[in-house]
Amino acid sequence: MILISATMLAQEDKLSRAQGLMTSDPGQALLIMDSVIQHPQTKNDFYTWTVRAYIYYELYKKTEKLKLHSAIRDSILSTIKTASELKPDSESFQSINRMYKSLSSGYKKIVKVLLEDSLNYEGSQEAFNNYKKLLLKVEPKHNFEADDIEYNLTVGSIFSNIFNEDNKKTKAGEIAKVALLKVLGMQPTNSSANLNLGLMYYNQAANLSKSLEYGADFTEIDAIQDNMIKLAKQSEKLIRSVYDNDNKNTKSILALYYIYRMLVDTPKFEEFKKKCKEMNLDIGENKPAATEENLNNPQNKDK
Amino acid sequence: MNFKSNTIFVRLVKSLKSINRYILFILCLISLRFQQGPSSFDAVSKTKVLFIYGFTKNFEWPDEKKTDNFIIYVVGKNDNLVSELKKMAAVKKVGEQDIEIKNTTLVDNNINPHIVVFTSDNDPKTISELSSKMKSKGSLLISETTGGCKAGASLNFTYIESKLKFEYKEDAAKKAGLKTKEEFKKMAVKIID
Repeated sequence: MILISATMLAQEDKLSRAQGLMTSDPGQALLIMDSVIQHPQTKNDFYTWTVRAYIYYELYKKTEKLKLHSAIRDSILSTIKTASELKPDSESFQSINRMYKSLSSGYKKIVKVLLEDSLNYEGSQEAFNNYKKLLLKVEPKHNFEADDIEYNLTVGSIFSNIFNEDNKKTKAGEIAKVALLKVLGMQPTNSSANLNLGLMYYNQAANLSKSLEYGADFTEIDAIQDNMIKLAKQSEKLIRSVYDNDNKNTKSILALYYIYRMLVDTPKFEEFKKKCKEMNLDIGENKPAATEENLNNPQNKDK
Repeated sequence: MNFKSNTIFVRLVKSLKSINRYILFILCLISLRFQQGPSSFDAVSKTKVLFIYGFTKNFEWPDEKKTDNFIIYVVGKNDNLVSELKKMAAVKKVGEQDIEIKNTTLVDNNINPHIVVFTSDNDPKTISELSSKMKSKGSLLISETTGGCKAGASLNFTYIESKLKFEYKEDAAKKAGLKTKEEFKKMAVKIID
Protein backbone atom coordinates (compact mmCIF):
# COMPACT_ATOMS: atom_id res chain seq x y z
CA MET A 1 0.00 0.00 0.00
CA ILE A 2 2.78 2.36 1.03
CA LEU A 3 4.64 1.53 -2.18
CA ILE A 4 1.56 2.15 -4.34
CA SER A 5 0.91 5.43 -2.57
CA ALA A 6 4.52 6.46 -3.00
CA THR A 7 4.41 5.68 -6.74
CA MET A 8 1.16 7.55 -7.07
CA LEU A 9 2.60 10.54 -5.31
CA ALA A 10 5.65 10.38 -7.54
CA GLN A 11 3.43 10.50 -10.64
CA GLU A 12 1.42 13.41 -9.24
CA ASP A 13 4.65 15.17 -8.43
CA LYS A 14 5.82 14.67 -12.00
CA LEU A 15 2.49 15.95 -13.26
CA SER A 16 2.77 18.96 -11.04
CA ARG A 17 6.32 19.66 -12.26
CA ALA A 18 5.22 19.28 -15.84
CA GLN A 19 2.42 21.79 -15.30
CA GLY A 20 4.87 24.19 -13.72
CA LEU A 21 7.12 23.96 -16.74
CA MET A 22 4.24 24.10 -19.23
CA THR A 23 4.81 27.69 -20.33
CA SER A 24 8.46 28.24 -19.43
CA ASP A 25 9.89 25.01 -20.84
CA PRO A 26 7.26 22.95 -22.62
CA GLY A 27 9.92 20.67 -24.13
CA GLN A 28 11.06 19.57 -20.71
CA ALA A 29 7.48 19.35 -19.47
CA LEU A 30 6.68 17.03 -22.34
CA LEU A 31 9.56 14.70 -21.48
CA ILE A 32 8.17 14.39 -17.98
CA MET A 33 4.65 13.83 -19.29
CA ASP A 34 5.81 11.10 -21.65
CA SER A 35 6.85 9.06 -18.65
CA VAL A 36 3.59 9.87 -16.80
CA ILE A 37 1.38 8.70 -19.65
CA GLN A 38 3.31 5.44 -19.85
CA HIS A 39 2.93 4.68 -16.16
CA PRO A 40 0.25 2.03 -15.52
CA GLN A 41 -1.34 4.11 -12.75
CA THR A 42 -1.74 7.28 -14.81
CA LYS A 43 -1.88 6.12 -18.42
CA ASN A 44 -5.66 5.76 -18.30
CA ASP A 45 -6.27 9.08 -16.58
CA PHE A 46 -7.96 11.60 -18.85
CA TYR A 47 -6.47 14.42 -16.80
CA THR A 48 -2.92 13.23 -17.58
CA TRP A 49 -3.69 13.19 -21.28
CA THR A 50 -5.34 16.60 -21.20
CA VAL A 51 -2.36 18.15 -19.46
CA ARG A 52 -0.12 16.52 -22.03
CA ALA A 53 -2.25 18.05 -24.78
CA TYR A 54 -1.88 21.50 -23.22
CA ILE A 55 1.86 21.12 -22.99
CA TYR A 56 1.92 20.23 -26.67
CA TYR A 57 -0.26 23.25 -27.28
CA GLU A 58 2.28 25.53 -25.56
CA LEU A 59 4.98 24.08 -27.75
CA TYR A 60 2.81 24.42 -30.84
CA LYS A 61 2.06 28.08 -30.06
CA LYS A 62 5.77 28.81 -29.94
CA THR A 63 6.91 26.95 -33.01
CA GLU A 64 4.25 25.64 -35.37
CA LYS A 65 1.15 27.73 -35.00
CA LEU A 66 1.30 28.99 -38.56
CA LYS A 67 2.26 25.70 -40.16
CA LEU A 68 -0.35 24.05 -42.31
CA HIS A 69 1.16 20.66 -41.60
CA SER A 70 2.32 20.41 -38.01
CA ALA A 71 3.47 17.24 -36.27
CA ILE A 72 2.89 18.93 -32.91
CA ARG A 73 -0.71 19.77 -33.85
CA ASP A 74 -1.20 16.16 -34.89
CA SER A 75 0.12 15.09 -31.47
CA ILE A 76 -2.28 17.47 -29.73
CA LEU A 77 -5.17 16.02 -31.71
CA SER A 78 -4.23 12.43 -31.02
CA THR A 79 -3.70 13.29 -27.33
CA ILE A 80 -7.07 14.98 -26.91
CA LYS A 81 -8.68 12.13 -28.79
CA THR A 82 -7.28 9.73 -26.20
CA ALA A 83 -8.38 12.06 -23.40
CA SER A 84 -11.90 12.15 -24.87
CA GLU A 85 -12.04 8.36 -25.01
CA LEU A 86 -11.17 8.11 -21.31
CA LYS A 87 -14.60 9.47 -20.33
CA PRO A 88 -13.54 12.85 -19.02
CA ASP A 89 -15.64 14.70 -16.47
CA SER A 90 -17.64 17.68 -17.63
CA GLU A 91 -14.92 20.20 -16.84
CA SER A 92 -12.35 18.19 -18.75
CA PHE A 93 -14.78 17.68 -21.58
CA GLN A 94 -15.25 21.42 -21.90
CA SER A 95 -11.52 21.94 -21.77
CA ILE A 96 -11.04 19.46 -24.59
CA ASN A 97 -13.67 21.29 -26.61
CA ARG A 98 -11.86 24.57 -26.02
CA MET A 99 -8.73 22.91 -27.30
CA TYR A 100 -10.49 21.85 -30.48
CA LYS A 101 -11.79 25.37 -30.89
CA SER A 102 -8.37 26.89 -30.41
CA LEU A 103 -6.86 24.59 -33.03
CA SER A 104 -9.74 25.32 -35.33
CA SER A 105 -9.13 29.07 -34.96
CA GLY A 106 -5.46 28.46 -35.60
CA TYR A 107 -6.37 26.97 -38.98
CA LYS A 108 -8.38 30.08 -39.75
CA LYS A 109 -5.33 32.20 -39.14
CA ILE A 110 -3.34 29.92 -41.44
CA VAL A 111 -5.96 30.51 -44.14
CA LYS A 112 -5.20 34.21 -43.98
CA VAL A 113 -1.43 33.71 -44.05
CA LEU A 114 -1.59 31.27 -46.97
CA LEU A 115 -3.79 33.56 -48.99
CA GLU A 116 -2.12 36.86 -48.21
CA ASP A 117 1.53 35.89 -48.03
CA SER A 118 1.90 33.05 -50.47
CA LEU A 119 -1.30 33.09 -52.57
CA ASN A 120 -1.53 29.39 -51.83
CA TYR A 121 -5.14 28.66 -52.70
CA GLU A 122 -4.94 24.88 -52.36
CA GLY A 123 -3.24 25.21 -48.97
CA SER A 124 -5.80 27.74 -47.80
CA GLN A 125 -8.60 25.39 -48.84
CA GLU A 126 -7.03 22.58 -46.83
CA ALA A 127 -6.65 24.85 -43.80
CA PHE A 128 -10.21 26.12 -44.19
CA ASN A 129 -11.59 22.59 -44.38
CA ASN A 130 -9.59 21.63 -41.29
CA TYR A 131 -10.96 24.69 -39.51
CA LYS A 132 -14.46 23.46 -40.24
CA LYS A 133 -13.68 19.84 -39.40
CA LEU A 134 -12.32 20.71 -35.95
CA LEU A 135 -15.10 23.15 -35.16
CA LEU A 136 -17.67 20.50 -36.06
CA LYS A 137 -16.26 18.29 -33.32
CA VAL A 138 -17.36 20.92 -30.81
CA GLU A 139 -20.37 22.33 -32.60
CA PRO A 140 -21.81 19.56 -34.80
CA LYS A 141 -24.63 21.81 -35.98
CA HIS A 142 -22.49 24.85 -36.68
CA ASN A 143 -23.69 26.78 -39.73
CA PHE A 144 -20.68 27.65 -41.85
CA GLU A 145 -22.44 29.85 -44.38
CA ALA A 146 -20.98 33.09 -43.00
CA ASP A 147 -17.49 31.53 -42.93
CA ASP A 148 -17.91 30.17 -46.46
CA ILE A 149 -18.98 33.58 -47.73
CA GLU A 150 -16.14 35.34 -45.96
CA TYR A 151 -13.54 32.84 -47.18
CA ASN A 152 -14.74 32.77 -50.77
CA LEU A 153 -15.02 36.55 -50.90
CA THR A 154 -11.42 36.86 -49.77
CA VAL A 155 -10.27 34.27 -52.30
CA GLY A 156 -12.33 35.97 -55.00
CA SER A 157 -10.94 39.41 -54.20
CA ILE A 158 -7.31 38.32 -54.10
CA PHE A 159 -7.36 36.15 -57.20
CA SER A 160 -9.55 38.46 -59.27
CA ASN A 161 -6.99 41.17 -58.59
CA ILE A 162 -4.22 38.93 -59.91
CA PHE A 163 -6.27 38.08 -62.97
CA ASN A 164 -7.24 41.71 -63.58
CA GLU A 165 -3.60 42.69 -63.61
CA ASP A 166 -2.61 39.93 -65.99
CA ASN A 167 -5.31 38.08 -67.89
CA LYS A 168 -2.80 35.43 -68.90
CA LYS A 169 -3.02 34.16 -65.32
CA THR A 170 -6.11 32.18 -66.18
CA LYS A 171 -5.78 29.85 -63.19
CA ALA A 172 -6.15 32.84 -60.87
CA GLY A 173 -9.15 33.95 -62.92
CA GLU A 174 -10.79 30.56 -62.60
CA ILE A 175 -10.15 30.39 -58.86
CA ALA A 176 -11.67 33.85 -58.42
CA LYS A 177 -14.71 33.09 -60.57
CA VAL A 178 -15.44 29.81 -58.81
CA ALA A 179 -15.07 31.46 -55.38
CA LEU A 180 -17.26 34.44 -56.26
CA LEU A 181 -19.90 32.24 -57.89
CA LYS A 182 -19.98 30.15 -54.71
CA VAL A 183 -20.74 33.33 -52.76
CA LEU A 184 -23.48 34.27 -55.20
CA GLY A 185 -24.87 30.75 -54.94
CA MET A 186 -25.28 31.27 -51.21
CA GLN A 187 -26.14 34.95 -51.30
CA PRO A 188 -27.24 36.17 -54.76
CA THR A 189 -27.38 39.81 -53.71
CA ASN A 190 -23.94 39.92 -52.10
CA SER A 191 -22.69 43.27 -53.35
CA SER A 192 -19.02 42.49 -52.92
CA ALA A 193 -19.22 39.29 -54.98
CA ASN A 194 -21.37 40.92 -57.67
CA LEU A 195 -19.01 43.87 -57.86
CA ASN A 196 -15.84 41.79 -57.93
CA LEU A 197 -17.13 39.38 -60.54
CA GLY A 198 -18.56 42.23 -62.59
CA LEU A 199 -15.25 44.09 -62.46
CA MET A 200 -13.44 40.92 -63.48
CA TYR A 201 -15.59 40.61 -66.59
CA TYR A 202 -15.32 44.30 -67.44
CA ASN A 203 -11.56 44.48 -66.90
CA GLN A 204 -11.15 41.32 -68.93
CA ALA A 205 -13.03 43.03 -71.76
CA ALA A 206 -10.81 46.12 -71.47
CA ASN A 207 -7.69 43.95 -71.45
CA LEU A 208 -8.85 42.11 -74.56
CA SER A 209 -8.88 45.45 -76.35
CA LYS A 210 -5.57 46.52 -74.81
CA SER A 211 -3.85 43.36 -75.94
CA LEU A 212 -5.01 43.66 -79.54
CA GLU A 213 -2.07 44.75 -81.67
CA TYR A 214 -2.18 47.47 -84.27
CA GLY A 215 -2.28 45.73 -87.59
CA ALA A 216 -4.98 43.25 -86.58
CA ASP A 217 -7.26 42.58 -89.53
CA PHE A 218 -10.91 43.59 -89.55
CA THR A 219 -12.10 40.02 -88.94
CA GLU A 220 -9.95 39.74 -85.83
CA ILE A 221 -11.12 43.12 -84.55
CA ASP A 222 -14.69 41.98 -85.11
CA ALA A 223 -14.20 38.79 -83.10
CA ILE A 224 -12.55 40.68 -80.24
CA GLN A 225 -15.40 43.17 -80.23
CA ASP A 226 -17.89 40.30 -79.93
CA ASN A 227 -16.08 38.96 -76.86
CA MET A 228 -15.68 42.39 -75.34
CA ILE A 229 -19.37 43.16 -75.66
CA LYS A 230 -20.36 39.77 -74.26
CA LEU A 231 -18.14 40.34 -71.21
CA ALA A 232 -19.30 43.93 -70.78
CA LYS A 233 -22.94 42.80 -70.81
CA GLN A 234 -22.23 40.11 -68.19
CA SER A 235 -20.48 42.74 -66.13
CA GLU A 236 -23.33 45.22 -66.53
CA LYS A 237 -25.85 42.69 -65.21
CA LEU A 238 -23.84 41.99 -62.06
CA ILE A 239 -22.85 45.56 -61.29
CA ARG A 240 -26.27 46.92 -62.12
CA SER A 241 -27.69 44.66 -59.37
CA VAL A 242 -25.31 46.29 -56.89
CA TYR A 243 -26.38 49.75 -58.04
CA ASP A 244 -30.08 48.82 -57.94
CA ASN A 245 -29.69 47.77 -54.30
CA ASP A 246 -27.71 50.85 -53.37
CA ASN A 247 -27.77 53.79 -55.77
CA LYS A 248 -25.08 55.57 -53.75
CA ASN A 249 -22.54 52.82 -54.22
CA THR A 250 -19.69 54.76 -55.81
CA LYS A 251 -17.83 51.70 -57.11
CA SER A 252 -20.87 50.50 -59.01
CA ILE A 253 -21.56 54.00 -60.39
CA LEU A 254 -18.00 54.40 -61.64
CA ALA A 255 -17.98 50.88 -63.11
CA LEU A 256 -21.31 51.42 -64.88
CA TYR A 257 -20.00 54.66 -66.40
CA TYR A 258 -17.10 52.74 -67.99
CA ILE A 259 -19.29 49.76 -68.96
CA TYR A 260 -21.84 51.94 -70.76
CA ARG A 261 -19.00 53.75 -72.50
CA MET A 262 -17.71 50.38 -73.72
CA LEU A 263 -21.20 49.35 -74.82
CA VAL A 264 -21.66 52.72 -76.54
CA ASP A 265 -24.97 53.10 -74.74
CA THR A 266 -24.96 56.88 -74.95
CA PRO A 267 -28.06 57.71 -72.84
CA LYS A 268 -26.93 55.49 -69.95
CA PHE A 269 -23.32 56.60 -70.37
CA GLU A 270 -24.42 60.24 -70.03
CA GLU A 271 -26.63 59.36 -67.04
CA PHE A 272 -23.74 57.76 -65.17
CA LYS A 273 -21.30 60.44 -66.27
CA LYS A 274 -23.59 62.94 -64.57
CA LYS A 275 -23.79 60.78 -61.45
CA CYS A 276 -20.00 60.47 -61.33
CA LYS A 277 -19.64 64.23 -61.55
CA GLU A 278 -22.27 64.77 -58.85
CA MET A 279 -20.36 62.42 -56.58
CA ASN A 280 -16.97 63.88 -57.50
CA LEU A 281 -15.74 60.58 -58.89
CA ASP A 282 -12.62 60.68 -61.00
CA ILE A 283 -13.59 59.58 -64.49
CA GLY A 284 -10.27 60.53 -66.01
CA GLU A 285 -11.61 63.13 -68.38
CA ASN A 286 -9.12 65.39 -70.13
CA LYS A 287 -6.29 63.32 -68.88
CA PRO A 288 -3.03 64.32 -70.52
CA ALA A 289 -2.01 62.39 -73.54
CA ALA A 290 1.13 60.31 -73.35
CA THR A 291 4.26 62.42 -73.25
CA GLU A 292 5.77 63.67 -76.48
CA GLU A 293 9.15 62.11 -75.76
CA ASN A 294 7.56 58.69 -75.45
CA LEU A 295 5.36 59.11 -78.43
CA ASN A 296 7.95 60.46 -80.80
CA ASN A 297 10.47 57.80 -80.00
CA PRO A 298 11.14 56.25 -83.41
CA GLN A 299 12.76 53.14 -81.96
CA ASN A 300 11.26 49.83 -82.86
CA LYS A 301 8.85 51.34 -85.30
CA ASP A 302 7.60 48.84 -87.80
CA LYS A 303 5.86 49.18 -91.07
CA MET B 1 -9.90 16.06 -10.01
CA ASN B 2 -9.38 19.79 -10.14
CA PHE B 3 -7.46 21.43 -12.87
CA LYS B 4 -4.55 23.51 -11.78
CA SER B 5 -4.48 24.81 -15.30
CA ASN B 6 -8.07 26.04 -15.24
CA THR B 7 -6.93 29.65 -15.32
CA ILE B 8 -4.83 28.83 -18.36
CA PHE B 9 -7.96 27.64 -20.16
CA VAL B 10 -9.83 30.83 -19.33
CA ARG B 11 -6.90 32.93 -20.52
CA LEU B 12 -6.62 30.82 -23.61
CA VAL B 13 -10.30 31.18 -24.49
CA LYS B 14 -10.16 34.95 -23.99
CA SER B 15 -7.13 35.27 -26.20
CA LEU B 16 -8.74 33.05 -28.83
CA LYS B 17 -11.82 35.26 -28.93
CA SER B 18 -9.68 38.32 -29.56
CA ILE B 19 -7.67 36.40 -32.18
CA ASN B 20 -10.92 35.51 -33.96
CA ARG B 21 -11.98 39.16 -34.06
CA TYR B 22 -8.54 40.10 -35.32
CA ILE B 23 -8.65 37.48 -38.07
CA LEU B 24 -12.12 38.58 -39.16
CA PHE B 25 -10.98 42.20 -39.27
CA ILE B 26 -7.88 41.33 -41.29
CA LEU B 27 -9.87 39.20 -43.74
CA CYS B 28 -12.29 42.09 -44.26
CA LEU B 29 -9.35 44.43 -44.83
CA ILE B 30 -7.80 42.05 -47.37
CA SER B 31 -11.11 41.77 -49.12
CA LEU B 32 -11.45 45.56 -49.34
CA ARG B 33 -7.80 46.15 -50.21
CA PHE B 34 -7.93 43.78 -53.13
CA GLN B 35 -11.13 45.15 -54.59
CA GLN B 36 -9.84 46.65 -57.77
CA GLY B 37 -11.59 49.41 -59.65
CA PRO B 38 -12.71 49.39 -63.26
CA SER B 39 -10.11 49.92 -65.95
CA SER B 40 -10.31 53.45 -67.34
CA PHE B 41 -8.94 52.17 -70.65
CA ASP B 42 -11.08 53.43 -73.52
CA ALA B 43 -11.65 50.31 -75.62
CA VAL B 44 -13.85 52.16 -78.12
CA SER B 45 -11.07 54.64 -78.95
CA LYS B 46 -8.62 51.76 -79.28
CA THR B 47 -10.98 49.99 -81.68
CA LYS B 48 -11.28 53.15 -83.78
CA VAL B 49 -7.49 53.39 -83.95
CA LEU B 50 -7.28 49.73 -84.99
CA PHE B 51 -9.74 50.49 -87.78
CA ILE B 52 -7.88 53.65 -88.81
CA TYR B 53 -4.58 51.79 -88.99
CA GLY B 54 -6.39 49.08 -90.96
CA PHE B 55 -7.56 51.75 -93.41
CA THR B 56 -3.96 52.84 -94.04
CA LYS B 57 -3.28 49.31 -95.27
CA ASN B 58 -6.31 49.19 -97.51
CA PHE B 59 -5.97 52.52 -99.30
CA GLU B 60 -3.27 53.80 -101.59
CA TRP B 61 -2.41 57.47 -101.42
CA PRO B 62 -1.19 59.49 -104.41
CA ASP B 63 2.58 59.47 -105.03
CA GLU B 64 2.98 63.10 -103.97
CA LYS B 65 1.76 62.09 -100.51
CA LYS B 66 4.26 59.28 -100.08
CA THR B 67 6.98 61.52 -98.74
CA ASP B 68 7.32 63.23 -95.35
CA ASN B 69 5.21 62.17 -92.43
CA PHE B 70 1.87 60.45 -92.73
CA ILE B 71 -0.46 62.91 -91.05
CA ILE B 72 -3.61 61.85 -89.23
CA TYR B 73 -5.55 64.94 -88.36
CA VAL B 74 -8.29 64.80 -85.72
CA VAL B 75 -10.86 67.59 -85.94
CA GLY B 76 -12.81 68.06 -82.71
CA LYS B 77 -12.39 67.03 -79.11
CA ASN B 78 -11.66 63.43 -78.18
CA ASP B 79 -8.62 63.21 -75.91
CA ASN B 80 -8.75 59.44 -75.61
CA LEU B 81 -8.80 58.95 -79.36
CA VAL B 82 -5.87 61.36 -79.85
CA SER B 83 -3.96 59.64 -77.08
CA GLU B 84 -4.55 56.19 -78.62
CA LEU B 85 -3.56 57.46 -82.06
CA LYS B 86 -0.33 58.82 -80.62
CA LYS B 87 0.41 55.47 -79.00
CA MET B 88 -0.07 53.82 -82.37
CA ALA B 89 2.05 56.45 -84.13
CA ALA B 90 4.88 55.76 -81.70
CA VAL B 91 5.22 52.16 -82.85
CA LYS B 92 3.86 52.01 -86.39
CA LYS B 93 4.59 53.44 -89.83
CA VAL B 94 2.64 53.67 -93.05
CA GLY B 95 5.01 52.22 -95.62
CA GLU B 96 8.21 54.15 -94.97
CA GLN B 97 6.42 57.14 -93.52
CA ASP B 98 6.36 58.01 -89.84
CA ILE B 99 2.90 58.75 -88.52
CA GLU B 100 2.19 62.18 -87.09
CA ILE B 101 -0.95 63.02 -85.15
CA LYS B 102 -2.44 66.50 -85.23
CA ASN B 103 -5.50 67.71 -83.43
CA THR B 104 -7.45 70.95 -83.45
CA THR B 105 -10.94 71.67 -82.24
CA LEU B 106 -11.82 73.68 -85.36
CA VAL B 107 -10.67 72.96 -88.90
CA ASP B 108 -7.20 74.29 -89.71
CA ASN B 109 -6.87 74.69 -93.48
CA ASN B 110 -3.08 74.88 -93.31
CA ILE B 111 -2.81 71.22 -92.42
CA ASN B 112 -2.39 68.84 -95.35
CA PRO B 113 -3.37 65.50 -93.89
CA HIS B 114 -3.52 61.97 -95.24
CA ILE B 115 -6.45 61.15 -93.01
CA VAL B 116 -8.94 63.48 -91.38
CA VAL B 117 -10.92 62.06 -88.46
CA PHE B 118 -13.97 64.09 -87.50
CA THR B 119 -15.00 63.40 -83.94
CA SER B 120 -18.66 62.85 -83.18
CA ASP B 121 -19.16 66.47 -82.11
CA ASN B 122 -18.76 67.64 -85.73
CA ASP B 123 -21.93 68.28 -87.68
CA PRO B 124 -22.39 67.23 -91.32
CA LYS B 125 -21.97 70.86 -92.40
CA THR B 126 -18.36 70.99 -91.17
CA ILE B 127 -17.64 67.70 -92.94
CA SER B 128 -19.26 68.96 -96.12
CA GLU B 129 -17.25 72.18 -96.11
CA LEU B 130 -13.94 70.44 -95.57
CA SER B 131 -14.65 67.71 -98.11
CA SER B 132 -15.24 70.39 -100.78
CA LYS B 133 -11.88 71.94 -100.02
CA MET B 134 -10.09 68.60 -99.87
CA LYS B 135 -11.19 67.26 -103.27
CA SER B 136 -8.30 65.53 -105.09
CA LYS B 137 -5.92 66.37 -102.29
CA GLY B 138 -5.38 62.78 -101.26
CA SER B 139 -7.10 62.97 -97.90
CA LEU B 140 -9.25 60.18 -96.52
CA LEU B 141 -12.10 61.72 -94.57
CA ILE B 142 -13.54 59.67 -91.71
CA SER B 143 -16.54 60.85 -89.76
CA GLU B 144 -18.61 59.59 -86.85
CA THR B 145 -21.89 61.33 -87.53
CA THR B 146 -25.17 60.16 -88.97
CA GLY B 147 -25.05 61.12 -92.65
CA GLY B 148 -21.28 61.57 -92.52
CA CYS B 149 -20.71 59.84 -95.87
CA LYS B 150 -23.53 61.82 -97.50
CA ALA B 151 -21.83 64.97 -96.26
CA GLY B 152 -18.64 63.97 -98.06
CA ALA B 153 -16.69 61.60 -95.82
CA SER B 154 -15.33 58.46 -97.46
CA LEU B 155 -15.83 56.44 -94.29
CA ASN B 156 -18.24 56.86 -91.42
CA PHE B 157 -18.02 55.06 -88.07
CA THR B 158 -21.27 53.63 -86.88
CA TYR B 159 -22.37 51.26 -84.12
CA ILE B 160 -24.48 48.16 -84.48
CA GLU B 161 -25.41 46.51 -81.18
CA SER B 162 -22.45 48.17 -79.47
CA LYS B 163 -20.03 47.07 -82.20
CA LEU B 164 -18.01 49.57 -84.12
CA LYS B 165 -18.52 49.25 -87.88
CA PHE B 166 -17.97 51.55 -90.80
CA GLU B 167 -19.90 52.77 -93.80
CA TYR B 168 -18.06 53.37 -97.04
CA LYS B 169 -18.61 55.82 -99.86
CA GLU B 170 -16.40 54.74 -102.72
CA ASP B 171 -17.16 57.77 -104.80
CA ALA B 172 -15.83 60.14 -102.12
CA ALA B 173 -12.60 58.17 -101.82
CA LYS B 174 -12.11 58.22 -105.60
CA LYS B 175 -12.73 61.96 -105.74
CA ALA B 176 -10.08 62.40 -103.05
CA GLY B 177 -7.62 60.59 -105.32
CA LEU B 178 -7.41 57.42 -103.24
CA LYS B 179 -7.34 53.88 -104.53
CA THR B 180 -8.49 50.77 -102.75
CA LYS B 181 -8.98 47.10 -103.41
CA GLU B 182 -12.38 45.81 -104.38
CA GLU B 183 -12.45 43.46 -101.35
CA PHE B 184 -12.38 46.40 -99.00
CA LYS B 185 -16.04 47.05 -99.78
CA LYS B 186 -16.94 43.71 -98.18
CA MET B 187 -15.61 44.94 -94.86
CA ALA B 188 -18.04 47.84 -94.76
CA VAL B 189 -21.37 47.41 -93.04
CA LYS B 190 -22.98 49.64 -95.63
CA ILE B 191 -22.01 51.07 -98.98
CA ILE B 192 -23.25 54.62 -99.47
CA ASP B 193 -24.04 55.64 -103.02
